[in-house]
Amino acid sequence: MKKQTEARVITFTSEAEMPMMPASMASTLYNKTGSWRYMRPLYVNKTPPCNAACPAGEDIVMYLQLTAQGRYAEAWETIVRENPFPGVCGRVCPHPCESECNREHLGGAIAIHCQERFLADYAAAHDLGLPMPDVPQRGEHVAVVGAGPAGLSCAYHLRRMGYQVTVFDAGDKPGGMMRLIPEYRLPKEVLEREIAAIVATGVEVKTGVRLGVDVSLDDLKDYAAVFLAVGQSRSRRLGVPGEEATGVLPGIDFLARVARGQRVGLGEKVAVIGGGNTAMDAARTARRLGADVTIFYRRSRAEMPAIDEEVNEALDEGVRIEFLRAPVAVLTENGHVRGLRLTEMELGAPDESGRRRPLPVAGSEYEVACDTVIPALGQVADLSFLDAEVKSERGRIITDEKAATTRPPIFAGGDVATGFGTVTAAVGSGKRAALAIDCFLRGVERTFPDLAQNVQAAPRPHDAAVVRFEDLNTAYFEEEPRPRQEQRPAAERVTTFEEVNLGYGEDAALAEAQRCFSCGTCNECDNCLIFCPDVAVLRGPSDDEPFVFNYDYCKGCGICVSECPRHAISFEEEVKFAET
Amino acid sequence: MRKPKTYARNYEIPEEELTYSGSVSCPGCGATLAMRYALKALGPKTMVVIPACCWSIIAGPFPYSSLTVPIFHTAFETAGAVSSGIRAALDILGKEDITVMAWAGDGGTFDIGIQALSAAVERNEDFIYVCYDNEAYMNTGIQRSSATPWMAWTTTTPVKHPKDEPKKDIMAIMAAHYIPYTATATIAYPDDMIAKFRKAKSIHGAKFIHVLSPCPPGWKSEASDSIKLSRLAVQSKVFPLYEIEHGEKVTINVWPKDGGVPVSEYLRLQGRFRHLSDENIAAIQAEVDRNWERLVAKAKGSVYTELV
Ligand SMILES: Cc1cc2nc3c(=O)[nH]c(=O)nc-3n(C[C@H](O)[C@H](O)[C@H](O)COP(=O)(O)OP(=O)(O)OC[C@H]3O[C@@H](n4cnc5c(N)ncnc54)[C@H](O)[C@@H]3O)c2cc1C
Ligand SMILES: Cc1ncc(C[n+]2csc(CCOP(=O)(O)OP(=O)(O)O)c2C)c(N)n1
Ligand code: SF4
Ligand code: SF4
Ligand code: SF4
Ligand code: SF4
Ligand SMILES: [Mg+2]
Repeated sequence: MKKQTEARVITFTSEAEMPMMPASMASTLYNKTGSWRYMRPLYVNKTPPCNAACPAGEDIVMYLQLTAQGRYAEAWETIVRENPFPGVCGRVCPHPCESECNREHLGGAIAIHCQERFLADYAAAHDLGLPMPDVPQRGEHVAVVGAGPAGLSCAYHLRRMGYQVTVFDAGDKPGGMMRLIPEYRLPKEVLEREIAAIVATGVEVKTGVRLGVDVSLDDLKDYAAVFLAVGQSRSRRLGVPGEEATGVLPGIDFLARVARGQRVGLGEKVAVIGGGNTAMDAARTARRLGADVTIFYRRSRAEMPAIDEEVNEALDEGVRIEFLRAPVAVLTENGHVRGLRLTEMELGAPDESGRRRPLPVAGSEYEVACDTVIPALGQVADLSFLDAEVKSERGRIITDEKAATTRPPIFAGGDVATGFGTVTAAVGSGKRAALAIDCFLRGVERTFPDLAQNVQAAPRPHDAAVVRFEDLNTAYFEEEPRPRQEQRPAAERVTTFEEVNLGYGEDAALAEAQRCFSCGTCNECDNCLIFCPDVAVLRGPSDDEPFVFNYDYCKGCGICVSECPRHAISFEEEVKFAET
Repeated sequence: MRKPKTYARNYEIPEEELTYSGSVSCPGCGATLAMRYALKALGPKTMVVIPACCWSIIAGPFPYSSLTVPIFHTAFETAGAVSSGIRAALDILGKEDITVMAWAGDGGTFDIGIQALSAAVERNEDFIYVCYDNEAYMNTGIQRSSATPWMAWTTTTPVKHPKDEPKKDIMAIMAAHYIPYTATATIAYPDDMIAKFRKAKSIHGAKFIHVLSPCPPGWKSEASDSIKLSRLAVQSKVFPLYEIEHGEKVTINVWPKDGGVPVSEYLRLQGRFRHLSDENIAAIQAEVDRNWERLVAKAKGSVYTELV
């Protein structure tokens, strides 16, 4: 009997038609065992926790899987469909994705940021340009104010949808606060390349234009929509006597001057006040300029907003950190800083941020000598350009989940609206605004998730359910350690602005990508096909549909569901059995 | 057909399917999957001999078949004898390249068919005898066999009187015939299983492969757990994966990961063991450990010189 591919029913109308011996004449394909089934397996990709946690809405699992196959250019393209700054984010993002990674339970979280950086560096080395979708150009022109990550991301995503965009910035170069991130963490050429690539998509950038001074909101009325992304550019004041003395140099001003290549005289001893990224960067930059640096922070290590790795790196480089200390006065001599009066602090009840409120300890004041004081208490937004119709609250422009202000078609995002304070959050915020502006201009209704969740510009079909470690079939995974990223030794670091982290080479990147579980995302491991007793899993027609169930025969045993290592198959009650 | 990707594969197994959908095995049947792998390994030039057992039914009612290769259905106790006859017939026709595979249940192997089996391998007939072991007479309604594990429930060993005899050591019996190849295999290890069937095919003479085949209705387990149970049987050392060449050279093919898992993990997923007391489980654990140590000692100590 030749191999059959179709069901054939044999009917004997007389004894004479029957063979001499009971020999088979057709296959069991006549028997549609699918009718037995009361549970139905379905290929449904689900959300990996890394993707859910990425503020920029990157499809991390997809680019890791492409990297695992050595398809680096496609992997990079997968990132830049969502985030045009992988080189920046791979270096400076606090990577909340890694904190959620399921691999943590079997050898350590995937080094997602190293992968992102590897791919960005690969794109740079191979001179890859941002691919633009082939969409019709649209007549509407959108104004973006602020060329930080939020503004540039919004402009980029609007260009991808065919809109005309002009970005205005008060500064002399686009980039926003990313320009202040020191070279040892973010080499300027990485930043310049990614900004240039965005500009090359056809974004018009006008620098030296300050909203509220050179133009007003009303002057922008002719644009179809306006996106405000001016960030938080004003340093918070110390609020103690002596603050006006020479030698008091706010952190972002200090970093801006160093970034521009200006010489800054610091003296021998530098005191940095604060516990965030700006404080760490100011302290580490001052170390590199030869100063003896102490950071004073009013709470304890646990409450420090700076990225943990950065704090460790600062300590390694010889920066001292004194916790539970706050300045009471800047001590001066002839109008110049000579020291600080500090008080010890203790932690009281939690405040509105959920962190315990620091309170001064009575009678604990003391003095230290220093030549320069660098306040780095965070930044606030300068909202002087706003009119009464665009409402703000506690220094932030009020927006809804569609990034719309109280005066449409004015939208706002990034730090000035969200205060989230990271590049990735700003990128995500700008993208959300671009998508919302597109809906607004086309008159399309669409719901957006809450501001704390991410938004994707090019989502793959997937279920929103997040795959947890318990959902995986760990029989298919071994405990494997995360490869170490090479770092320049601390002693060498303090003498140079060369990059501290050296990233992954191709071998490490490939191995690390292959260590990813691919949570919730079919990577064609073939288990379902191999383990089906009933040959009811067939290879599918395309990469988008690598397998299909043959529901004519699938008995609904659920073996494929259980043996999928990564929970990419759902199991649902057949409609005929479901309660109606 | 689309070319499959390979980078994330856990196993490399042949693409060709030699079994059909539409068979009447229960959902999650381990024996059905075992046949799928066996034929993938042996290829289309195979003839299968099936005595009375579940597979007599799974193979399809007249005039249908669930295999793309010929099957000879035969009486319960005769797999060894009928295979010998088919082998002889094929050889006379000059068709030495066709593999003859007897495919019998544990009842048909450990119990009623053991005479014909012993005789055939004693003559070193050139065929592969496969016992797919679901540990009871499943086709007729879950009666105990000499392959049923100690303390398991079956319809003839009810919970009040569970089976009080240990499982027969069929591998030792077959090894005692000093045949060229004897091996264990199970469905959670498709690459190991396929390698063993290929090896068996390449060897001239009598080969015996013992395949543990989870049976959801007979074991009172979830259909979706069949692979998991097969894996746990190996990982708990209840069913080690090993092979014996010429009755002497013992090789353990799969070593349990991180020293293995307790037998309770395997037992607790099966309703047929639900009545077990902690003492029963401890006794099973002790027995499994003892058998494992014995096997490891055999594997380490096996001295084997090629016969000329
Ligand atoms: C020293 C330092 C280190 C940091 N390190 C990290 C880090 O490691 N990781 C991380 O994720 N984040 C870090 N951040 C935070 C991150 O840079 C910001 O959260 C992010 O840049 C905010 O983006 P944005 O687009 O909202 O605003 P910004 O980047 O602040 O950009 C706003 C832009 O608007 C322009 N602008 C302001 N007012 C006007 C006006 N009225 N008219 C026209 N233009 C105007 C500004 O010139 C600026 O270019 C750091 C910040 C600093 C200061
Ligand atoms: C001589 C004889 N006795 C009894 C039977 C009835 N019978 C058919 S299949 C079967 C049980 C087979 O058990 P096993 O070999 O373990 O295969 P399983 O059904 O479990 O797959 C029995 C008792 C028979 N066909 N012939
Ligand atoms: S293992 Fe891979 S897919 Fe899963 S959370 Fe980590 S990076 Fe994401
Ligand atoms: S393993 Fe096969 S029969 Fe079982 S549910 Fe999956 S497709 Fe259906
Ligand atoms: S078992 Fe493997 S191939 Fe099948 S759906 Fe899951 S990941 Fe994809
Ligand atoms: S009773 Fe067991 S061995 Fe027989 S067809 Fe059903 S699952 Fe398979
Ligand atoms: Mg049986």
